[in-house]
Amino acid sequence: MRVAESETYVEVAQVSKVYRSGGADAVEAVSSVSFGVPRGQFVAILGPSGCGKSTLLMMVGGLEPVTAGTICIGGTPMTGPRTSIGVMFQDPTLLPWKSAIDNVLFPLRVLKRPLDAYRDSARRLLDRVGLDGFERKKPHELSGGMRQRVAICRTLVYDPELLLMDEPFSALDAITRDEMNELLLDLWQQYTKTALFVTHSIREAVFLADRVLVMTRRPATIVEDLAIPFPRPRPMTIGETPAFNEICGHLRQRIEESHYREHGRPAGSAPVVHEHAR
Amino acid sequence: MTAESPAVRRISSLRSRAGSTQFLHRPNLRRLRPVALPIATAAAFLAVWQITVMSLRVPAVILPTPLQIAAEVFRALPILLVQAVPTTLDSLLAFSLAAVLGIGLAVVITYSPLLRDTLYPNLVVFQLIPKIALAPLFVVWLGISSESRVAFAAFVSFFPIVISAAVGFANTEQATLRLCRSLTASEWQSFVAVRFPFALPAIFSGLKIAMTMAIIGVIIGEFISAKAGLGFYILYAGGRMETSLIFAALFVLCVIGIALFGAVAFAEELVRRSYGRR
Repeated sequence: MRVAESETYVEVAQVSKVYRSGGADAVEAVSSVSFGVPRGQFVAILGPSGCGKSTLLMMVGGLEPVTAGTICIGGTPMTGPRTSIGVMFQDPTLLPWKSAIDNVLFPLRVLKRPLDAYRDSARRLLDRVGLDGFERKKPHELSGGMRQRVAICRTLVYDPELLLMDEPFSALDAITRDEMNELLLDLWQQYTKTALFVTHSIREAVFLADRVLVMTRRPATIVEDLAIPFPRPRPMTIGETPAFNEICGHLRQRIEESHYREHGRPAGSAPVVHEHAR
Repeated sequence: MTAESPAVRRISSLRSRAGSTQFLHRPNLRRLRPVALPIATAAAFLAVWQITVMSLRVPAVILPTPLQIAAEVFRALPILLVQAVPTTLDSLLAFSLAAVLGIGLAVVITYSPLLRDTLYPNLVVFQLIPKIALAPLFVVWLGISSESRVAFAAFVSFFPIVISAAVGFANTEQATLRLCRSLTASEWQSFVAVRFPFALPAIFSGLKIAMTMAIIGVIIGEFISAKAGLGFYILYAGGRMETSLIFAALFVLCVIGIALFGAVAFAEELVRRSYGRR
């Protein structure tokens, strides 16, 4: 691991989330989850859809209150959203009436910082993600991948220390998604942020992260905490190496095991053993 | 990585494709169609009216011909314009009152769940009452002055604005509001930057209905109590069996109605240019 011995930046301790609808039916979405993230590490949270991993991420971002436990970021407990955190959602959530550059500048408008001081850096960011010449375009004139690029720039422009990404590329097609993953790694390497990336794609998690946390279905708990040993920069081609597939196979098995433990193995099916699993 | 990463190159090729989009030029005749067709229909209607009345020798006191009405408009224009002034001013005043109060109440409903739950169902039910029937009450409460007509017209045109604005505020993209929260935006900032612009199309559809309702309200008020105004003048002409004069007053009323509605539609167009989705 790159930054094994640096300080813990994100500290999640015994965090649970219970949704109460109407009183009697309490749904436990996240169950007593603990983990720490050192400054500068890229952590992927991997799990099946609807397993509560997004809820966990929103709690880390201060957008959802925790039911139990504590979350500390940079040594101070979370009580609400902070400007040192940048959140990316599954939707680009661009304002449809604003041009690409004005969307990138939107956080600074909210934070009441002088826009003119940031205009150049916003333009540089758009150039950096390959959107030079698109500054004045409205979101409807951009493709899905381009919109998500604008959203990345909008997250980076106010220089947050921690990036929280909630399946940001899951609505994109496979080819665009690979492009975006490559771009994201590239940017992350340049700006060295601490990053938490929620995904249900095993390959995406292994390609991007220093470390993958595997979560089970509701209530979400962490069943695996795996360091990804590949050096950086990582070319897209590492996805074709046996070592990469071996890690993916291992993670897939962990997900399936935890799934079967809960729901029982389907009748007649043999245990799934991946050739690279061991 | 340099700026010439594969991701950037792929984006460049996309850009050149976007720039070369060609739009087909349609024949002028097709473009005129939306204007020419309704005008031709109206002209045909007037021609049939003229011919039918002339050939059946319908007395002018029952139904004057369009040409007789045109002559009457020309003859009575000075007095009609004088009568049009209070009607126009009262309509505008009532509409403005309804817009301010309606949007204001919609904001209150949006931000106070308690008031929403108590008021909104009642508003929807109240919307169903034939409010025209309440006009005499306003005379009882506010007398036969202009205030009573303005209050009644504002009351009538207030409901479509509240309902459409409340729906517009409620339908704002939740993800975008969450983005605002993650940026530590205040409720007021999210309202101004996101909720209000997102609701504008809905608000304007309410305002357009309200404009026509305001004119109807003022005319009803003038029927009941006024000593001036086009509503009063139509009753006056009716009492004297001057059918052509009734039609001439109706014509002026139509022109005012179209002008006021057009003003709202024009404002909508201006707003759409800066806040449109496309």
